[in-house]
Amino acid sequence: MTKKAKANDFSITSGNGVMSGKAKAIRWLISIILIIYTCFTIFVIGATLLNSLKTKSDLVTNFVGLPKSVTLANFATILLEDDFLLYFRNSLILTVCGTVGCILLSAMAAYGIARYEFKGKSFLSSYFLIGMMVPIQVSVLPLFLILRQLGLLNHLLGLVLVYISQISISCLIFQKFFRTIPKALEESARLDGCHDLKIFFRIVLPICKPVIFTMSLITAIGYWNDFYMPMVLLGNKNVRTLTLAIYQYIGQFTKYMSESMAAVIVTLIPIVIIYFLFSSQIVEGLTGGAVKG
Amino acid sequence: MRKKRKNRNHLFFIAPGFIFYTVFVVLPILCVLVLGFTNWSGMGEIKFIGLDNFITIFTDERFTPTFFNALKNNLKYLVCVWLIITPIQYLIAYVLYIKIPAHKYIKFMVFLPYVISTTIVGFFATLIFNPNIGFMNEFLEAIGMETGAWFGDPDWAFKLLILFVIWQGSGSGIMIFYSNFMDISQDVMEACRVDGCTEWQRFWHILLPLSLPSCASIITMSTIWALAVFDLPYILGGSNGGVNGSLDFANTVFYRYTFGSGLNGRQDYGFGAAICLIMFIIMLLVTFIQNKVLAKFEYDN
Repeated sequence: MTKKAKANDFSITSGNGVMSGKAKAIRWLISIILIIYTCFTIFVIGATLLNSLKTKSDLVTNFVGLPKSVTLANFATILLEDDFLLYFRNSLILTVCGTVGCILLSAMAAYGIARYEFKGKSFLSSYFLIGMMVPIQVSVLPLFLILRQLGLLNHLLGLVLVYISQISISCLIFQKFFRTIPKALEESARLDGCHDLKIFFRIVLPICKPVIFTMSLITAIGYWNDFYMPMVLLGNKNVRTLTLAIYQYIGQFTKYMSESMAAVIVTLIPIVIIYFLFSSQIVEGLTGGAVKG
Repeated sequence: MRKKRKNRNHLFFIAPGFIFYTVFVVLPILCVLVLGFTNWSGMGEIKFIGLDNFITIFTDERFTPTFFNALKNNLKYLVCVWLIITPIQYLIAYVLYIKIPAHKYIKFMVFLPYVISTTIVGFFATLIFNPNIGFMNEFLEAIGMETGAWFGDPDWAFKLLILFVIWQGSGSGIMIFYSNFMDISQDVMEACRVDGCTEWQRFWHILLPLSLPSCASIITMSTIWALAVFDLPYILGGSNGGVNGSLDFANTVFYRYTFGSGLNGRQDYGFGAAICLIMFIIMLLVTFIQNKVLAKFEYDN
């Protein structure tokens, strides 16, 4: 390739530069490799879906092929005989309560730090970062003991309290966002005699709906998928979550093959639907403030 | 008057979060610091035993080899994060940035596994690599090749683990690198186009140095998480850390000895806390050294 050809050998973001044939070929090659790579995801999800529709005997003799006849018996088994509705409810309660609490507390704390001047402000804002730097695995043992002391071990409420307290990351992102809101809006409301709490709930929160939404999505996905904390803090069957139930099935995979396929599909469906609807918001929530600077 | 009111009002906002956060996030960390020096069994009096737990960790003939094997795995994993996973993430982010064909579809699909629970990732791994009925062995049998034990084979287990970590975990890093690229000013890109630099020059002299500062923090975070890795190895290797401890990590050891049978058959939370403390110290140390190195690297640019 000549130097001149090389000089044209790129496009910035819009692909408006003239590309040499070779560069184009390389791009296509990379793209094909990555497309093949993504087929793996489609394959495993598709295979699980097809297998969950097979009858038990069909699955054993015909693990790889297409189902001979379609049945929903596996779903009926896990939902009716194995309390999957209960696990689903448990996961839902944990996710919803944990997310709402966490977002509310972190938005309030972030507002307090971002909008008011007081002594120890910078200390407080770095104090709230500790939770981000120390993985929860380090502090899980005392959490276990504290919850046992409070009698909340094996109670959903115990884990909800733990989830609510994980405010580090969202607090950081909310702080950044609140600094971008002009103060004039709040000032005028204050002159009208509005109380600060009312200003926050009536004026500030509605403005940050998009941020609240993206942060809630990220938080909720994390809680819905969490495995470690429920495993340590929720031992009883009546508080088992979906992820724990699936873990139980994997442990005896050959025995509960068809049930585990259906169980995985039931857990996967809500999250994949949410991903299809909101993938750009999820990405935004992840990259929004977590890492800049 | 108004100033005084303001001074009081911020407490309304901060106090609830502060209380929860202090009780359930900061207090446990402090507790670990204290518990590590005791031999508390969870009931009765708390007795301080000084450095005994740490001496046991480093000299006990049954425990020490297990623990060091786990730490070695953690280190191996960390090296994989640094040398394999992060570069892959960076490169995929780059090719998405230059808009290779079908980049929208690829972006959508590489990020998808991020929202899938680790237990389900473990399930997929079983589906494919189960030695009895997994797809991989069926496939190898069909084309007349030797089947493998995969996660039951110490040579394979760790490599497969890394593959699944890349599949599940790389999405988030790719998106973060990608958004860092998007933040680079278009003026710089334009200037570089006018000057007629090659794609390689642009990557090496402009994108790489400009995105490094923001890469530093993601590398720090992934280092911390690499040292605390638990879910996937535990699901794939079981609580004993796989065959020959090939999937045993510091955290799995901690879990086994704290919530499992304990070292001498008795519950000893002090000992568990001591393991946590050592993990924590290693994390601090590695992060500290890494930040020094990264800061120097940044300065050179």
